[in-house]
Amino acid sequence: MVQHSYRIGIDIGGTFTDIVVARDDGLIETRKVPSTPDDYSRGIAQALKALVQEYSTTPDRITGIVHATTVATNAILEYKGARTGLLTTEGFRDVLEMRRLRIPVLYDLQYDKPKPLAARHLRLEVRERLGPDGTVRIPLNEADVREAARRFREDKVEAVAISFLHAYANPDHEIAAEAILREELDESVYTCRGSEILPEIREYERTSTVVVNAYIGPVVRNYAAALTTRLASIGVTCPVEMMHSGGGIMRLGSAVKRAASLVESGPAAGVIACARLVSGSNEPSIISFDMGGTTAKAALIEDGEPARTTEYEVGAGINLSSKLVKGGGYPIKMPFIDVSEIGAGGGSIVAIDKMNQVSVGPQSAGAYPGPVCYGLGGRQATLTDAFLTLGYINDVALAGGTFPLQADAGRAALNDQVARPLGLDLTKTARGVLTLAVTTMTRAVKAVSTYRGRDPRHSTLVAFGGNGPVVAAEVAKALGIRRVVVPRAAGVFSALGLLRSDVEQEFVRPSRRRAGELDDAGLAELYGQLTEDARRVLTLEGYELSGAEFRYAADLRYVGQAYELTVPARRLVFEELAELFHLEHERTYGHRSQKDQVHLINARLTVRLPLVAPPQRFGAAPPQRRVDRQVSFEETGTASIAVIGRADLDASPRRGPFVIEEYDCTCVIGPGQTARLDDAGNIDIALEAA
Amino acid sequence: MKTAETGAEKIDPITLEVIRNALASTADEMALIVMRSAYSPVVRDIMDYSTALCDAQGRVIAQGLTLPIQLCSFPRIMGFVRERYGSTLKQGDVLIANDPYGSGGQHLPDVYILKPIFVDDRLAGFAATVAHHTDLGGIVPGSVAIYATEIQQEGLRLPLLKLYEAGEPAESVFRIIEANTRAPVEVLGDIRAQIAACNVAEEGLRSLMARYGPAMLDRYIDALHDHAEAMMRDVIRALPNGIYRATDYIDGVGENPVPLPIVATVTIADDTIDIDFTGTADQVAASINCPISLPESAAFCAIRCLSQQDIPNCEGYLRPITVRAPEGCLVNPRYPAACGARGVVGYRVFDAIMQALAQVVPERAIGGSEGGPYLLAGGGVHEGKPFVLNEMVVGTWGARSGKDGIEGISNPAANLSNQPIEMVETDMPVEVLRYGLVPDSGGAGEFRGGLAFVREFRFLSDARFTLRGDRRDHPPFGIEGGGTGAPSAHLFIQRDGTQRHLPTMPMESFNARRGDIFRLTGAGGGGYGDALKREPWRVADDLHEGKVTLAGAERDYGVIFAADGATVDLPATQQARAARMGERT
Repeated sequence: MVQHSYRIGIDIGGTFTDIVVARDDGLIETRKVPSTPDDYSRGIAQALKALVQEYSTTPDRITGIVHATTVATNAILEYKGARTGLLTTEGFRDVLEMRRLRIPVLYDLQYDKPKPLAARHLRLEVRERLGPDGTVRIPLNEADVREAARRFREDKVEAVAISFLHAYANPDHEIAAEAILREELDESVYTCRGSEILPEIREYERTSTVVVNAYIGPVVRNYAAALTTRLASIGVTCPVEMMHSGGGIMRLGSAVKRAASLVESGPAAGVIACARLVSGSNEPSIISFDMGGTTAKAALIEDGEPARTTEYEVGAGINLSSKLVKGGGYPIKMPFIDVSEIGAGGGSIVAIDKMNQVSVGPQSAGAYPGPVCYGLGGRQATLTDAFLTLGYINDVALAGGTFPLQADAGRAALNDQVARPLGLDLTKTARGVLTLAVTTMTRAVKAVSTYRGRDPRHSTLVAFGGNGPVVAAEVAKALGIRRVVVPRAAGVFSALGLLRSDVEQEFVRPSRRRAGELDDAGLAELYGQLTEDARRVLTLEGYELSGAEFRYAADLRYVGQAYELTVPARRLVFEELAELFHLEHERTYGHRSQKDQVHLINARLTVRLPLVAPPQRFGAAPPQRRVDRQVSFEETGTASIAVIGRADLDASPRRGPFVIEEYDCTCVIGPGQTARLDDAGNIDIALEAA
Repeated sequence: MKTAETGAEKIDPITLEVIRNALASTADEMALIVMRSAYSPVVRDIMDYSTALCDAQGRVIAQGLTLPIQLCSFPRIMGFVRERYGSTLKQGDVLIANDPYGSGGQHLPDVYILKPIFVDDRLAGFAATVAHHTDLGGIVPGSVAIYATEIQQEGLRLPLLKLYEAGEPAESVFRIIEANTRAPVEVLGDIRAQIAACNVAEEGLRSLMARYGPAMLDRYIDALHDHAEAMMRDVIRALPNGIYRATDYIDGVGENPVPLPIVATVTIADDTIDIDFTGTADQVAASINCPISLPESAAFCAIRCLSQQDIPNCEGYLRPITVRAPEGCLVNPRYPAACGARGVVGYRVFDAIMQALAQVVPERAIGGSEGGPYLLAGGGVHEGKPFVLNEMVVGTWGARSGKDGIEGISNPAANLSNQPIEMVETDMPVEVLRYGLVPDSGGAGEFRGGLAFVREFRFLSDARFTLRGDRRDHPPFGIEGGGTGAPSAHLFIQRDGTQRHLPTMPMESFNARRGDIFRLTGAGGGGYGDALKREPWRVADDLHEGKVTLAGAERDYGVIFAADGATVDLPATQQARAARMGERT
């Protein structure tokens, strides 16, 4: 008998932990198991133990685990991070609290500002000062650092972030200060410094990033230790890798060091799964659409590459666009896949106010108590209850019959709380609620497309997550998108993405040169240093770099601007980079300047170690009983509609309306839409031109 | 249910919400485009600009997440657009204006760029933007000299002009602008950013038109205005009728300032509010005169803040509000009054109205904030190259009912940002020595006012600089017995150690030598309620966080701490407070 080996992708959510197993011959299987929020590692160990038994194999045949987790994000949202201190330049301990002043709402005199993650009495100043070019104006006062260490000790600080002015230009003072802290503080105290985590200009954003990193560092470290111990206890000793927000994977050790890079690991995994789905398919523009219980998320993928950003705020409630609506959360400036997230998910609460304004979200019933129809104690009508009313989802049970629903309670809640007060009939109300939610969700899609100067109508929407395929066609219709793809394993797609990710890390070096002073030789030198940095770090982490791809990019702007655009740097010729920048500027903002000088701000390098794995194929779907049901569409009214399985589709287009029900999600095909199965088993939906 | 009947068909509340969201996201998108493609630190970092979308009649239908005090000025300038251009506008036209006299501007640096949007040859709406430009000429870099006495000294006046005509740039206008600014790269770059935002709005409105058709969209836009109006009237109707008057002051200009009263009389009559500025100081021979566009905007903004509901930010909500000011006074100056530094008066208008409202609905008002942006403007030549420094600093809110004021925040009437210190030091020959909070500076109260900020600069090159501040002689007010915030300060410390307090609004500019220091301290926020009723644990928290000192806790709050300097000595505190109460009666 062949002894197979297995790689396992694990994505932890609030209710379910999604598990995808890839056998060494490419066979893919999926599982949904309950999460164990008191200690997530327990649920993982239980699930792996069960899998080992089920496959009649031994724990050592699990050869790789790739993991996405919300532990980092939750620590911030629930203010359960470490007791964090900040060591900073004399005169500037309040930079963290002053922030950038702006807030995300107008005319609201009752506004509350997020409290700093390092309290003021734990923000200590030391004498030292650098100039903007990194020259030392005041040497580091070591006695001040030791005194600060004493106070941190007294206050039982668990983590210290170090952030000095202009440290991006010269890390020496921060390095020296960290060494002293390491001498003075207990080994268990986590330390990190701005010059290491984010060597970029702008003191608030850098300080915020390094403070977030310190705040969640010990949480991630403890989680990693618990996970390693749990796995060892069941005999699993393979390396564990984590997905970072930039869409690559890294060793557990790096994740502990760069804890802040974990906050969007789950959503990033979904986008990566989309990118891999279309790589090599000549699909120039994809918008990923991931909708779960609390939020809907969208990201843009062009030529197989997800759009990226370095501006992100964690804990800002629900971000519409992470770029303008600033000040509501804690900025992290690190490579992120540019995922825009909006508060419209299955659990979003439907409400009307005194003036009969209807809203869907951003308040959410979450996983618990969840929608009324879950029967777990939820009382307020939710979007899921509206889906149910329209017949979009099964009204008996979800998850292949394992999760029973209380449909009547869901309909009644929507009727009593919304329809009756508005004087509308229930179906019309449910339809209206869906339309409103769709409008909200289109803003997430627009944030990554029209806001960036891209027309979504030229894109294909790839829908996944528990609720994505339910509404994807409606969202597409609202935006004029003509094609929707629902991939295999859409309901656990992020976990699948974990197994399709490459090892990937990004490195940045600021250019010290003024505009006009950088010649091609200087450019080559800068990128040469950057490459050395990357080789050193990755080799240290134990990676073999022979198959690595090195992708260079440049952050450029016109002299006088404050925001850069990033262009690929395939050839290190400044004139060519400048021309690429002019083009990108025109594309993004609709204009370019011939007169103004182009200034290189940062050199970037992404090192990718491509995944070596056999082509994946899916095991047969478990059998499922499906019954036709009443479904309401705007165009056709309420009628009995066929409910089928994915396998009932074939390569020839089938005309809607009908519903495809699967173990992990439901896909609704409306009137005027057709769906077919492509060679890879994806559902390919075509919409009529508007 | 509430359905505004405009025409035969009913308004569906869900569609109304859909359209409202689509309009709002377009206005936000405009703001984003400006920020990311602008050139000047004032626009790109401080974010002193605003965006809005207007309907075909020029009525604002959505506002970007920008500056309230600018946003509410669009209705006036759109009135001039209607009056001046009526139905003669063509597709591809772009209008520009900054002139406060006869064109609806505020002061010369605030340049409005407006674009009519056509769908199938029919005027469908307007994109509207305004941005604070780095320099429009005049006697000083930055175009804000308090000592200017008439607008002709302040720079280039642009009455409502066509910057583009049917898609063709008006080259002569561009060239005049280029020749009249000290910072042509920044000014022209920022104008391009504003136009880019207008183009985005054009796309957005066109796609909405395509989706709903002009007739239906018009009907829903009317309904949106009606809806906002109804909500605003509900808010006002809940207030007791009456006449509420409050006076706040500008410290005055020069070395020996004469206080300038701003008088706001707020009359609430059923579902309408009238705001009258009669009694306000006459216009002055300095540039703090405030063309009516801004006071009106500040008034709309203050009333809008009264509502704790999500009223659509369209012009309908203004219908129940009237604003009046006698001609020739500080808040409605006659030509040719200079107005470069008028902002300070605008913020004081907001404050005066807030104090009047606090007499009726203190629980919805806010104590005095830092007073609006403080400005340090200067320039010189460093290493052979000229530089223009523009620091605009804000930072503090007064206390609210049930909540302390906030420190490290923009004035409630302006959603400005701060310039990163590392950017300032990279671009300018100055070193920032300190940026932080001042303990004990928040107005005492059951709820404490926000702390003042301090920002200290060392000049690394000889420079000439000028200032605009306020709130030294008339610090930010408290509400319901709350104390005033700490006064502001302009401290100039020369290299040789001599120190001197500069006027809040000097009628001159100063020479700084390399190594001299300027310390700018804003005013603290006003408190709310009786300081002796502040829960002692809050004072202990503030002490722990270094926001009040031991001495301040005792002096301002009557809270006494035990010998450990951290635990409240409750009996001693009760005794001290009782004694303090006794002294009052």
